Amino acid sequence: MGAFEQVNSKVVRCPISPQSAVLSRRGAMLGYTGDVRFRPVHGQGTGLGGAVGAVMASESAPTMVAEGSGSVLYGHRGLHLTVLDLRGEGLVVEADRLLAHSAGLQTGVQFLGQGGLRNVVRGAVTGQGLFTTSISGTGSVALLSHGGAFPLTVSPGEPVGVDPQAYVAHTGAVQVDLSAKVGWREAVGRGSGEAFQLKLTGSGTVYVQASEQKL
Amino acid sequence: MDSYDAGSLPSDDNVNAYSFCLDLTHDWFLKRGAMIAYYGDARFDPLSALSSASAFVAARFSSPVYAQEWVVVSGAGKVVVADRGHDVNSFDLDAGNLTVRAGNLLAFDTSLELKQSIVPGFLTLLGTGTFIASSNGPVIFVEPPFRADPEALLGWADCPSPSQHFDAAWMAASITGMLTGVFGRASGEERQYDFTGSGTVLLQSSEQTRDDPALLRVLTEQTQVLSPTQAAELAGILQARAARA
Repeated sequence: MGAFEQVNSKVVRCPISPQSAVLSRRGAMLGYTGDVRFRPVHGQGTGLGGAVGAVMASESAPTMVAEGSGSVLYGHRGLHLTVLDLRGEGLVVEADRLLAHSAGLQTGVQFLGQGGLRNVVRGAVTGQGLFTTSISGTGSVALLSHGGAFPLTVSPGEPVGVDPQAYVAHTGAVQVDLSAKVGWREAVGRGSGEAFQLKLTGSGTVYVQASEQKL
Repeated sequence: MDSYDAGSLPSDDNVNAYSFCLDLTHDWFLKRGAMIAYYGDARFDPLSALSSASAFVAARFSSPVYAQEWVVVSGAGKVVVADRGHDVNSFDLDAGNLTVRAGNLLAFDTSLELKQSIVPGFLTLLGTGTFIASSNGPVIFVEPPFRADPEALLGWADCPSPSQHFDAAWMAASITGMLTGVFGRASGEERQYDFTGSGTVLLQSSEQTRDDPALLRVLTEQTQVLSPTQAAELAGILQARAARA
């Protein structure tokens, strides 16, 4: 299993072998060497969540798979990339921000949070939709961010508050909650613009991008 | 933070990753709109307005389609060029040839000769001299054999012009997809430029290109090979596409 190699801040080189194919966002291939074949993939993940997710995500993030042997360069719209190597720990990331990952990883679609009306509110507020992609297993993942992503450690007793627009992904046993601090200032449109925050508690790492621009 | 003046600006070197300073010790071809600032007595002359004295310079720019987007800058001083905050790099050619995407070429030495590439939207530089090109993200150099996404391709040097490669598996899967109505062929991933031989292929870090106004003129010119009947058919196809858009 070859790990992804970052060529520069915006391009990743992914080794492809018969044992390890790579799934990526459709259209993000820049070039390749060797005997590599590309195939569009319909839907993402497995099970009911995957089926639902495929419908939900098909508009925003159609995927393709690269098989064979060689290496492929991926990049997308000049956005910055973060490469993470997963060794069993889970990763939760918005489907739009997922550029490429090893095909050996299991992906699923999950609700961000515990469910209920709150999620509807969160989806509406963050513009991230109700579904995020959860990834588990062993392999590499390349994430897109605007301006580069950096990790913040979440530990018990030290929760992290994140601007919903700046949130990229998180790993580990982390609970995500939306905290709304809506006062009369927000109601009349004179607030700081920071009324909504994602509150992350537990232990793990959250990746935050250096910009509030959505993809 | 130090501020630059005419003396402290670098000479034929990058000011930062996103801008480049040309020293007018010799003349440059410059793309319209690439200049962001200049010091000194610089003259920007359209190629068509060159007097007979410098007509030999204009003769080195043998692409009438692109000529109206380029000027000759001469005189004395320094000119800073940039392109939408993209990375800007200078490349030196030594009795070589290099083909580069027209939209990414910002400036080049008048000692270089320019010709239009067979591949639409690309320009070929021949000879010895320096040129300045922009790229979305840093430039990646790779060696053939290599297949590149047409949009990510920035250019190539010293190797034959690419041929087109169509991914059979992708096309087959795509057709199945179309039949079942799952998706169309939007991403164009089935088409790649195939490089063979020896040389260097230049890639930018993104598949995002800028609109090239001259590309339309290049393609229009190429439709001359069509017969009147074929041209009418093409007109119909384009009209149908425009109606869908």
